Amino acid sequence: MNRQDKNLSSSSTHPRTPRRATLSGIAAAMALTLALVLSACGGGSSATGAAGGASGTNSGNVAGAEAATVSDNTGTPKQGGTINYAHEQETPCLTGGWVQEAFIERQYADELVSQTKTGKIVPWLATSWDTSKDGLTWTFHLKPGVKFTNGEPLDAKAVVKNFEYWSDPSNGNGVAPFLHNYYKSSKAINPTTVQVTLSKPYSPLLSSISQGYDGILAPATYAKGAEAICNEPIGSGPWIIDKWTHGQNITFSRNPNYNSAPSNALHQGPAYAEKLIWSYVADPTTRYGSLTTGQSNVIYDVPAPDWAAAQENYEVQQYITPGRPVTLDLNTNQGPFAELPVREAFAYGADRKAAVESAFEGKVPYNGNGALSQSTPMQDPSLEETWPYNPEKAEQLLDQAGWKVGSGGIREKDGKQLNIKLVYGAGSLITTEGATVLEDLQSQWKEVGFNVELKPATLTQLFSGEYAAPDKYDATIGYWTSPSPAVLLIVWKPWNSKTEPNGNNQSFYNSDKLVSLIEKGNSSADPAEQKKNYFAAQQIVTKEQAAVVGVYVQETSLAVEKNLHDVWLEASQGEPVFSDAYFGNEG
Amino acid sequence: MGTFAETPGTTAIGVKPRRAPWLKRIAWRILGAIFVLWAAATFTFFVQELLPGSKATLILNQEHGTQQTYNAAQLKPVEEKYGFDEPVTTQYFEYIKGLAHGDLGDSYQQHKPVLTIIGEQVGPTLVLTVTALILAWVFALTTILLTSRRKKVISTLGSGWEIFSAGLPYYWLGVILLVVFSIELKIFPVQGGTSIEGLVLPALTLAIPLAGFIGQVTRDEFEKVLDQPFVTSARARGMGDFAVRVKHVLRHAVLPAVTLSGWALGALISGAVIVETVFARPGIGQMIVTAASNRDVPLVSGVVMLVAFIYVIANILVDIAYAIIDPRLRA
Repeated sequence: MNRQDKNLSSSSTHPRTPRRATLSGIAAAMALTLALVLSACGGGSSATGAAGGASGTNSGNVAGAEAATVSDNTGTPKQGGTINYAHEQETPCLTGGWVQEAFIERQYADELVSQTKTGKIVPWLATSWDTSKDGLTWTFHLKPGVKFTNGEPLDAKAVVKNFEYWSDPSNGNGVAPFLHNYYKSSKAINPTTVQVTLSKPYSPLLSSISQGYDGILAPATYAKGAEAICNEPIGSGPWIIDKWTHGQNITFSRNPNYNSAPSNALHQGPAYAEKLIWSYVADPTTRYGSLTTGQSNVIYDVPAPDWAAAQENYEVQQYITPGRPVTLDLNTNQGPFAELPVREAFAYGADRKAAVESAFEGKVPYNGNGALSQSTPMQDPSLEETWPYNPEKAEQLLDQAGWKVGSGGIREKDGKQLNIKLVYGAGSLITTEGATVLEDLQSQWKEVGFNVELKPATLTQLFSGEYAAPDKYDATIGYWTSPSPAVLLIVWKPWNSKTEPNGNNQSFYNSDKLVSLIEKGNSSADPAEQKKNYFAAQQIVTKEQAAVVGVYVQETSLAVEKNLHDVWLEASQGEPVFSDAYFGNEG
Repeated sequence: MGTFAETPGTTAIGVKPRRAPWLKRIAWRILGAIFVLWAAATFTFFVQELLPGSKATLILNQEHGTQQTYNAAQLKPVEEKYGFDEPVTTQYFEYIKGLAHGDLGDSYQQHKPVLTIIGEQVGPTLVLTVTALILAWVFALTTILLTSRRKKVISTLGSGWEIFSAGLPYYWLGVILLVVFSIELKIFPVQGGTSIEGLVLPALTLAIPLAGFIGQVTRDEFEKVLDQPFVTSARARGMGDFAVRVKHVLRHAVLPAVTLSGWALGALISGAVIVETVFARPGIGQMIVTAASNRDVPLVSGVVMLVAFIYVIANILVDIAYAIIDPRLRA
C-alpha cells in the first residue's frame, strides 16, 4: 500500500485548479478503496497477514508447563510490579471462537475445570463432578463464595446462562463445535449445583470446557448484549480489564479478591504482580527488540531467526498445540487426487521433514500424522512415519496409475497434465516460514512429475467461503487446535450432508465407518476403548486413504526475562498465565 | 513556456485575478466536499458489494473461526440481522440515509459504532502524519537553502540525497531506524505508544522519503527562479544571498510543493499502515488493514469517508496557504 510516490508524481504533472481538486479528491478516495480491496483480495502482504489472526481453530491439551518453571527458594514471592507482555495479534473481540481470543479470555475469566499437562482434568470453579451411569447427565458442584468482578455471584444460574450462550449456534464461540451434536440442556439444581444433560455420552466434555473460550462470564455481560460481550466482558479471573486501547494494548489490574484459581495453579489468591500490560506488537523485529531492550518482560512467538539466541538469554517455553496439526488436505472428491495412488505418490514425493526443519530453523517440529498432532492425547505415533520421503516409490505409483512423464517432466494422463492447485491462507493460517516449506516441497514434487501451483488466499477469501467447494482446489493446508481427539468428529463429519454440511471436512472424504469409529471413541467412558477407536480412525484418514498428509505442528512460544518467575502456558490451549508470576530481586 | 506558466495555480489567476465573492466560493467548496464524500461512499459501497462471496458467510466464519459454506437456513438469521436480505438498492439507500444523519453504522466485527472506533484511533494517526509533514518541509527547505546552486559537490550531494531518500521504502527505513536507535542505541523506546519520544522515529520514517520528494520538486523550481531578472535586481540592490533565497526565491519555489502537501497528507495515511505496525503504534493504519482483510464493510466505508474528508480539508488548507504565499490570490 505504499502508494505515496505514485500519487505525488501524478499530481505534480497536473497543475491544480479548484475543480480538479474535487475530482482528485474522488480519485484519491477511489484509489484508496481499490488499494483496500486489492489488499483484501490479492496475496499475503505482511501487513495483511499481521492483521489476519490465526483462525480456524479451537484448542488443545498436554504439553503444558505448569510448575515446570523456576521456583525460587527465597520464601514468599515478591508482590507488586507490572508485567509487560508483548503479544502479536489483536483480536476484534475479547471473547469468541479464535485461539487468540481464548488467550485473552483466560486472563479475566475462570473455567469450570482445568487440564494438566498430563491430560488430567482437575477442579477449578467446579470442585467436583459426577456422571450418571448412562453418561448423559453431568452434575457439577461449584466452589461457593466466588464472585464476578462486578460483584455478581458466580452461581449455578450464571453457569447455566453461559452454557445456553455457547450452545446457541448464532453465537460465535470456541465451545460450540465441541458441544454441538451432544449438548442438550442445563439447569441450576441449587446455587452451587449445575446439571448438564447430553443427548449422547461424550467423554471429551471436560477437556472441551477446559479451554479459554469457556470462561464463565457474568450474567450482566450477556444481558447487555453483543457490544458488551465483545468489548467489556466481565469474569471472575485473576485480572480485571482496565482499558483496551485499540491498536496498542490492554491494561489489566489484579483482582484483589481473587479466590478461584484452578487447583493446578502455582498458588491460590490474587496475582502477585499489580498490573499486566498486554501489548500488541505485530512486527517480529520490534517484538523481540522490545524484550532485548527490557521494555517487555515477556514476548509471544519468539521469531525463528532469534530462536537460538533466545534460548541462551531468556527462559523460553514452547507449547505444542494439540488437535489437528498443520496438515495438507487432499481433495478426494474430484481432480487427480480422487485416485488413491496419486495421493500416496504425493505423500511420498517430497521430504516434508527436512523442509520443516530448514524453514523453521529447528523451532517447530515436523508432524507426520496428518490427523492429530503429537501432543494430542491418544494420537497414534506409529503414523508419524507412514509416508517417508521416497521419490522412487512416488514415481512407481504414478507410473502404475497411468500418469506418464510428459513435456518438462510433468506427468500426463489422457492428455491432461498432473496439475495440483494448492490453496493456502498466506500470512494467516500459514506463516512466512510455512510458505517457505510449501515452496521447498513444490520443487521436490516437480521432480516426481507434479506441477503444483501454490495459490495464496487471504483470510477474507477463506472466510467468504471462496475455496469451500470441491471444484476450488486439489489440496489445501490448515490446522484446528483441540485439547482432545474430539476434533476428529469436527473435521470428518460428512461434508455433503443435506441437513448439516460440514465445511471443515476439507478433504471431502465421507465415510460412515470413519464417523462411527470416532463417535464410538467420543462416547466411550473406557480409555482403552476410546484409544482403539480413535487409533482406527487415524489409520483410515492418514494411511488407508491418504486424505491428509501431516506437515508441522501449531505451537505457542514465550520468551521470559530471567528476573520474572513462574509464567506458564496452560495445557488445554497454550494460553499464557501471569497470575502466578513474580519478579525476582535483580534490578 | 515561461517559468511561471508552469507553476500550478498562477497561470490563469496571475493574469486576471478572480473576484468571486467569499460566500459563493465557500458554498461551492462545501458542495464540492459533499459531492466527494457521497462519491467515495457510493464507490466503496458498490466495490464491496461486488466482491465475490457472501457477507453473511464471512461473518459466520469469522465468528466461529472456520472457512466453510453454509446452507440457506444457517445464513438466514445473519442476513436478517444485518439486513442483507433486502435488495441492494434498499441497502444502499439505507446506508446513504444513515450517512446523512451522521450514522456510519456498527462494525460487523467489533459490534460497536464505526464513529466510536474511528474516533478512538484517528488521533495518533493525525498527530503522526501532521508531524511527519512538518518535519518533511523543514528537512526539504533546509536542504534546498543550503545546497541549491552551491558548489557543484554540495549541490550534487543535496539533489542526490533527495533522489535517494524519496525512493526509500517505509518498511525498510522504519526497521533500520528501529534497530539502530531503539534496539542498539536505546535512545528511543521500541514500543513507542503515543508518547512524545515514541513519535520521533515513526515521524522520521514517514518524513524522510517525503522530504526527498518535496525537495526534488522544489529544487527545480528554486533553481529556475534564481535565474529570474527580479532576483538579479534584488542582488543588484545589495541584498545578501541568504536573504534573496529566503525572501524572494523560496516564496515562488514552494508553490508546487504546497500543492503536493494536500496529497501528501492522504498518502502519509497509507504509509502509516506500515509505520504503525513496525513501531507498535495505535492508529487507523492497522485498523484499515484489519477492516479490509475482514471485509468489515461499515468500518471500511467509514475509513474511506474519513480519508476523503481529510483530503477535502487538506485541499482547503492548501488553498489558504496559496493565498498567503502568493499575494495576487488575495482577492
